[in-house]
Amino acid sequence: MFSSINNRISQIHLTSNVKQTIVAMLGVTFGISMYIFMTGFMTGVNDIQADLAFSALAHVRIYNDGPADNSNIAKKVFPNDLINVRNAKVIKYTDGIKNSTSILNTLSKQKDITGFTSQVNINVFFKNAGNKLNGLVSGIDVVSEDKVFGSAKHMLQGNWNELKYKSDGIFVGVELARILGLKMNDNVNILTSEGISRNYKVIGIFRTDVYNVDKTKAYIAINAARQLLGVNQDYVTDIQIDMVDYNNTQPLIDNIKAIIPYKVESWQMGNQQLVAGSSLRDTIAKAVSLTILLVAGFGIYNIMNMTINQKIREIAILKAMGFSGGDVTKIFLTQAIIIGILGGIVGIILGNIISHLVNRVKFEVAGMHHLPMTYYPHNYVFAFMFGLITTFVAGYLPAHKASKIDPVSILRG
Amino acid sequence: MNDIILKVDNIVKHFYEPEKFQVLKGISFEVKEGEFLALVGKSGCGKSTLMYVLSTMDTDYEGTLTIKDTVLTNQSQNQLAAFRNENIGFVFQFHYLLPEFSALENVMIPALKLKKYAKAEIEERAYKNLEMLGLKDQALKKVTKLSGGQQQRVAIARALINDPAIIMGDEPTGNLDTVNTQIVFDIFRELAKERKQTIIAVTHDDDFANNCDRIIEMKDGQIV
Ligand SMILES: Nc1ncnc2c1ncn2[C@@H]1O[C@H](COP(=O)(O)OP(=O)(O)OP(=O)(O)O)[C@@H](O)[C@H]1O
Ligand SMILES: [Mg+2]
Repeated sequence: MFSSINNRISQIHLTSNVKQTIVAMLGVTFGISMYIFMTGFMTGVNDIQADLAFSALAHVRIYNDGPADNSNIAKKVFPNDLINVRNAKVIKYTDGIKNSTSILNTLSKQKDITGFTSQVNINVFFKNAGNKLNGLVSGIDVVSEDKVFGSAKHMLQGNWNELKYKSDGIFVGVELARILGLKMNDNVNILTSEGISRNYKVIGIFRTDVYNVDKTKAYIAINAARQLLGVNQDYVTDIQIDMVDYNNTQPLIDNIKAIIPYKVESWQMGNQQLVAGSSLRDTIAKAVSLTILLVAGFGIYNIMNMTINQKIREIAILKAMGFSGGDVTKIFLTQAIIIGILGGIVGIILGNIISHLVNRVKFEVAGMHHLPMTYYPHNYVFAFMFGLITTFVAGYLPAHKASKIDPVSILRG
Repeated sequence: MNDIILKVDNIVKHFYEPEKFQVLKGISFEVKEGEFLALVGKSGCGKSTLMYVLSTMDTDYEGTLTIKDTVLTNQSQNQLAAFRNENIGFVFQFHYLLPEFSALENVMIPALKLKKYAKAEIEERAYKNLEMLGLKDQALKKVTKLSGGQQQRVAIARALINDPAIIMGDEPTGNLDTVNTQIVFDIFRELAKERKQTIIAVTHDDDFANNCDRIIEMKDGQIV
C-alpha cells in the first residue's frame, strides 16, 4: 500500500510546481473533453440518421418476394436430360401475404419485438385535374402504424386518428399535395395498375422530411385499401416489425424464417449504405478521440520525464536514506494518477459544457433545428477510464525509470 | 566475535571513467560495536569512495562487506535500501537535503519510512535532535533558507533519527565552526558510549581525529 510518507512526498512534488502540474492536467482534460464531445456528436448524428431512416423503414419487414425461378420446370423433374423450353413464361403467382393472421400470431409470441403493423401497399397514379403522379398508397392500421413509425407526429394538417373512421379519407405527403395542387378536403383520384379508379378526400397532410416519401406517399385505412383491390380481410402486402435493439435483428430473423413462408428482411439487408455510414462515423470518432487521448498521454509522459530529471538528486537522496525502488515508483505514479483523476474530472465537466454549446448551434436541415448531440453516461465513463489508463501508462514508464536510478552515481557528482 | 559490528575484507574498487583506475587497493579492517573511529588521509586518497562502499550505496566493488553479521555484498538494491534505512545513518560530504521540505520534515523522513514509531513520536524525537544541535528555532524553515553549517547540522540530526547501529559521516563537521564542531563531537562521543552506536567519521580536523577511539589513515587507496 501507499505509505503516508510516499503520499506526502507526492503531494509536495505536485504542489511545489503548480504550473507544471496544471499543464499536465490540461493535457488529460483536453483529451477527455474532446473524446466526450466527439463521441456525443457522432452518436447524435447516428441517432438522427436512424430516426430519419426509421420514420419510413421498419427494423424487420415480411413481404412476398415472388416465387423461386420456375421458368424451366421440366429441368426440375429431369435434371439429367437436356430439355429446352422456348419462350418460357412465369405464370401469374399470388402476390401479397394471404394468411396474415397466423403470421401475426407467431410474431406476438416473439420477444424483443416492440410492435408490428400490417400494410396493404399499392402502386398507383395520383390524379387531380390534369396533373398525374406516380406513387404509393399505403393502407394502414392507424394505431399500430403510429406505434411502429411514429407517423402521427408528422401530421401538418388533419388528425391522424381520423383515418380510422373515414374509409374515403386520405393523408397525402406535403410535396405530393404541392405538385398536385391539393388542399384539405380536396378530392384526389387514384388509379391502380389493374385499372381501378376511385376518389378520396384529403383529410390530412404530412411531412416526414424525407423528400422522396413526402413526394410519393399517401395513407388510407387498411380496409379501404383491401376494398380497392377487392381482396379479403386476411390480405396484407407487408408486415413491418419494430425491435428493442435495431442493431440486433438477426436472432429474430433466424427464429421466424423457418416458420414463415415469405421473405423476412432486416433493415440492414436492404440498406447497406446506412449501416456502412453509421459504422464509419463510429470508427472516425473513435480514431480521432483515441488519438487525442494518446497525444495527451504523451504530454504527461514528457512532463513526468522532465519532473524526474529535475528531481534526480532528490530521488538519489531518498534512496540513500533507504527508500526502495518501489517507493520511488509509487511516489511518481501517485502524482500521475492524481493528475489523471483531476484532469479527468475537469475533462468530463468541460466535455459536457462543449457538448451543450455545440448542441445549441443552429442547424436547420431535414427537420433538425440544432446540431445533434447525445449525453450517454457510458461514453463519459469510458472516457474517464481511458484517460486514467493513459495517465497510468504514461506515468508508469518514467516512474519506473526513476526507480532504477543509482544513488551513488548521482550523489558522487 | 559478535561485538564486531562492521567488517570489510579486501575491498578493491576501480573507476573506469575517464580511464581504468584503481581507487581502493585491497582494504580490510574491523570495527567494534560502540567504537568511535576516524578515517583520515590526503584529499583524493579514496576516503569518500570507501564510505560509499561501507554505506552499502555503492555495490560496484570486489571483496566483502559484513555489517551486524550480515554479508551485504551482492544483496539486491531494495534489500540494501531497507537495511540502510534501519541500520545506517549517513552524513554526506555535501549535505544532501530535500529542498522542498522543512528542516523538521527532512529529519523525520527516514523515520516515517521505517515506521518504528508513530508520527507524533517521530516529530518529538526530530525536535529533540534539532534542539540538541542548536536548531530548534529553525525547524519549520525550508532547508534552502538555512546556512551551509545549519544544513549540515540538519543532515546530522537526520542521520541520528532512526537510532542506527552505525553512523557514518563524510566530513560531518567540515562546514562548522569550533563551537558547533565540539557540539557534534560530544554528541557522537555520547552516542558511542551510552548507546553503543558505532561512529565512523572522515575528517581533516586533527583535534577531532585525535580525540577518537581509533584513527585509520589512508594513502593512495590503502590503509597505512
Ligand atoms: N565518479 C568518479 N569517476 C572517476 N574517478 C573518481 C570519481 N569519484 C572520485 N574519483 C577519483 O577517485 C579518487 C578518490 O576520490 P574520493 O572522492 O574518494 O577522495 P577523498 O579521499 O574523499 O578526497 P577528499 O578528501 O577531497 O574528499 C580521486 O582521485 C578522484 O579523482
Ligand atoms: Mg571525500
